[in-house]
Order: sequence, then C-alpha cells, then structure tokens
Amino acid sequence: MIATIPDARTKRTSRPGQQTQSGGSRSRRRRNVRDAAAAAGFLAPFVILTLVFQYVPLAVLARDSVHQFTLFNPEMAEFVGGQNFVRVFSDPETVQSLIVTGWFMVVFLAVVVPLGLLIAVYLNGRLPARGLVRTMVFLPVVTSSVVVATMWTFMLAQSGLISGLLSSAGVPPINFLTNKDTALAAIVIMCVWQQVGLAAVLFLGGLQAIPADVQEASEIDGAGPVRRLIHVTIPMLSRTTVLVVVMMTVFSLQVFAPAFIMTTGGPEGSTNFVMYHVYRTAFFLQDPGFASAISIVVLVFALTISLIQMRLLKMKWNF
Amino acid sequence: MKIPKPKYLWTTLILLTVLAVFALPYLWIVSSGFKYQTAIFKDMAPVSWTTFLPIGAVMDNFEQLFTEKGVGRALANSLVVAAIDVIGALIVCTLAAYALTRIRFRGRGVVFALILATFMLPVEAMVVPLYRVVSGLGIQDTLWAVALPGVASVFGLFLLRQTFDQVPTELDEAARIDGAGHIRVFWSVILPNVRTALATLILIKFLFSWNAFLWPLVAIQTQENQVIQVAVAHSAAPDYLPNWGLTFAGTAVATVPLLILFLFLQRYFVRGLATTGLK
Repeated sequence: MIATIPDARTKRTSRPGQQTQSGGSRSRRRRNVRDAAAAAGFLAPFVILTLVFQYVPLAVLARDSVHQFTLFNPEMAEFVGGQNFVRVFSDPETVQSLIVTGWFMVVFLAVVVPLGLLIAVYLNGRLPARGLVRTMVFLPVVTSSVVVATMWTFMLAQSGLISGLLSSAGVPPINFLTNKDTALAAIVIMCVWQQVGLAAVLFLGGLQAIPADVQEASEIDGAGPVRRLIHVTIPMLSRTTVLVVVMMTVFSLQVFAPAFIMTTGGPEGSTNFVMYHVYRTAFFLQDPGFASAISIVVLVFALTISLIQMRLLKMKWNF
Repeated sequence: MKIPKPKYLWTTLILLTVLAVFALPYLWIVSSGFKYQTAIFKDMAPVSWTTFLPIGAVMDNFEQLFTEKGVGRALANSLVVAAIDVIGALIVCTLAAYALTRIRFRGRGVVFALILATFMLPVEAMVVPLYRVVSGLGIQDTLWAVALPGVASVFGLFLLRQTFDQVPTELDEAARIDGAGHIRVFWSVILPNVRTALATLILIKFLFSWNAFLWPLVAIQTQENQVIQVAVAHSAAPDYLPNWGLTFAGTAVATVPLLILFLFLQRYFVRGLATTGLK
C-alpha cells in the first residue's frame, strides 16, 4: 500500500506531463520536418550544382580513365582496363612531364616560401613605404596567369626587356624560352614573381598573430634579429608554413598558361607541365581516356597533400 | 644618429629593388601598348626611362583591338561570365551557408563534408570530364558552360559559413519569436550583418572568374563566345605571329578592370585570398 502511493502519484502527475510532452514532441517533430524541408530548399541549388559539376565529372573521369576513345565519337569507347594507368608510368613523354612538374614544384617551393617569409618580415617591420611594397608585391597575384605569361614572354624574348637590360651590361642577348637549359628556370622565376605576394601576405597574417611579448622577451634576452627569426618567429609560424607550402604545391600542379603561351611545352619537352600535357593529350591527340588517367594520378597526389595538410594542422571538423 | 643611416640605405635599396622588379614590367607593358612596334624596339635600345613611359602615345593599337580584333566582344563575354558567377555564387552560397549554420537537421555534417571534399579537387585536373559533362548537357560552347561550374563555390561557402557563425543566434531567435520564418531571418537578420563578407565574396569570385583561362579555353570553340583571357593568350601564343604593341594593348585591356578594383579595394582582396587557404 505504502509502496503504491508514490507509484500512483507519479502516474497521476505524469499523465498531464506526458500529454504536454507528447504534444511538445509532435510540434517539435513538425518543426523538425519543417526545418528539414527548409534546409533542403536552402541547400538544393548548391548541392545540385556540386553534384552536376563536381561529382558527376569525377565519376566520368573514373569511367573514362579505363576506356579508349576520341572526343569526336565518345560512344565508341573501348574498355581497356588499367592499360591507361600503365601508360602513365611507361610513356616517356608523360613520365618526362611528371618529372618536369616535380622539378618545377621543388625548385619553386624552395624559392617562393623563404622569399615570401622574408618579404613578410619586412612588411611586418616598422620600415617606411610598407604599404606601397605590399601593394606592388601583391599586384601580380591578382593579375591573370595569361597576362603574366604574356608579359614575361616578351620580357624573356631575344629582343625583350631582360636581354635589353643585359646588353646594357655588355651581355649578349639570350632567348631564354627557346633554350632547353633556361626555359624551365625562367618559368620558375616568373611564377615566384607572380605568387610570392600571396605567400608573403599569408606569412604576414601568421606574423601578426604572434604575441608581441614573445618577440619582446627574446629581444630583452639579447637575441639579434637573425636569431629571433630562426628561433622564435619561424617555429611559431609552422601552421602558416604548412598552409603556404600546400597552397603553392597545389599551384604548381596546375601550371598551364606558361606552357600554352610561352613555350608550347618545349624546348624538347623541358616545360611540358602535366596539366598542359593532359590538355594536349585530350584535345589534340584525341586520347581523353589516357588524359583522364593522368588527371587521376595528379588528383591522388593533390588529395594526399591536402590530407597531410589537415593532419599537420589538426584541422577541426566542427559541423 | 649614426645607426639609422645604414638602415635607411637598406630600406631604400629594398624599396627600389621591389619597385623595379614589380612595377617596371607593368609600366613597360602598358606604355608599350601605346606605341608602334618600331617605337617599342627603338625605346628599348638601350633600355632607359623612355622604355617605361608612353612617349608619343598613339591609340592605334587600342583602336585596332576594338574594331578588328573583337576585343569589345571578348570583354563583354568575360563580363557576362563574371556576372553569372558572382550573382550565382552570392545566391547559392548564402542560402547554403544559412542552412549549414542556422538550421538543425540530420545529415548536416555529411552534407558539409561532401561539399568540402570537392575543395581538394584542383579545377584544372577536372577539365576533361567537365568538358564531357557540359557536352552531355548540351551547353558546350556557350557562356553558361564557362560560368556554371564555378557558381557553387566552396571557397564562398566556407567564407560565409565562418561569418554567419559570428552573427549571434539571439538575433534570429528574437526574430523567430516574433514569427519570422527562415526566409525572413535569412533576408533581414543574417544578410544585413555580413556585408563585408559578401563584398569579399563578390570581389574574389570576380577575380577568379575574370582571370580563369584553362576552362574557358576548353569550353569555348566559337570566336564570338571567347572570353578576354583566351583572346589575349591567342594573340601571344608562339603559333601566332605576335604584334607586340597590339598584344600589350590587349593585356592592358584585360588587366585594367581588375587593377582598378584592386587598388581601391585592396583590403578585401588580401583578406579574401588569405581565406581561400584558411579552410
């Protein structure tokens, strides 16, 4: 008896409670349904475009990579299995193209990252005309790769600006772009010129995030500017450095305009960047299946780099 | 008093080097656009200040660009593509960012992850299948084909999602209590509070759209639908006999709209481009 009293009481009191609760959950469920419908409506345009222009092409890429066909007659595709992928690593022109892109990437990174950091340190100082320098250095970043490549084509030509400057110093004119030994180096310098502003601005953001007292403390401890840079600034910039390296790596994978405008991949394939190679293979040699296989190799490489970046930055996926 | 001297020397040296390396190419290109081919070469032997200034400027190159080379048409095409891209991205990205920050629903994480994953696909590596898809849709060789793939911009979504998150939820809760639906909250609570981010999105999207090269090159075959970058590239590529002055005038025309935007709105560009990497 005694035991049933609280039982009954809870039952009695819980009934109206349950009712409001069930009423609440019904309206909440209705609200959930309404929210889901609203979310679907708000997201639909973006998601549909992403599906059509990202995921469908990805599927097409995968399917094309195991077929052989021409763009004139894509219905006549012949299944060739992994043959295209074998060709990626056995076709001499493709292998050379991958090596050229790899070399470009290594040298480009080795120059653009430290130089970007140096410019950022300069911009972060108290020196005059910082604003002007920042504007000038960033200008090529917003200039299209076509315009940059065009400018530099004429600067590097035999009768161009750089030869003109060199001849004032008594050096005979050189056509940098038709010489196998100088073409790739010239394009590296051009790309550094174009991208160093972006690297510098990213580093500048990182520098400004370093607490001022850290710098001051090391200054009081008697560290000179060079030691401060090596022992304080650079370690505190590791996140920014990862970011810059990844952005510049992805940039080097996508280099196309210089090959198209300046060299058509020559001389002797020494500037045959992989994206230019893909373009020619698909649209001129009419071998889009093979081109797709090369693209997939590049994509896998880019994805790996991005995943390493996320690991290094311990990116938080908070939804 | 002795210490500042070498410092100023260094500063001046750095400043002059930077200016020479970054400004002279632009000066050379733009002023040569106003010169005849012969004058360009004459002013370069030897290189002196006349190389970089439009001495004896003539408008012939620009006239020829617009009357014979159809550059006006190419500029108009680029503007149309940029307009579709910018307006499309504004609509599509703001809506999606609202859903991802303000509406709670099942699968939100999955949707965002699927969208974010595409950020890692370099656009250039996708041109071949993209061309196949666009052909399949029957919009190949149109300005829609050039513009549409860039509309659902992951960068834009990312930027806006970050900014939307900073708008306090109390604001939309108050509006919701007053009976406002999602559309009202989106339009009159969120959007007015994120104007800077919207401006950044517009500028960066315009920049990418205006400067894009490989995809427009692949997507367009007819001359009338060509965008400005492709037109400039064709006038400079080694297979064509280059007319220096004409090509320089073309690059100037292709660059000036962006340069003006950049010089006035530099802050937004810098901040926006920095966020493209800061996922």
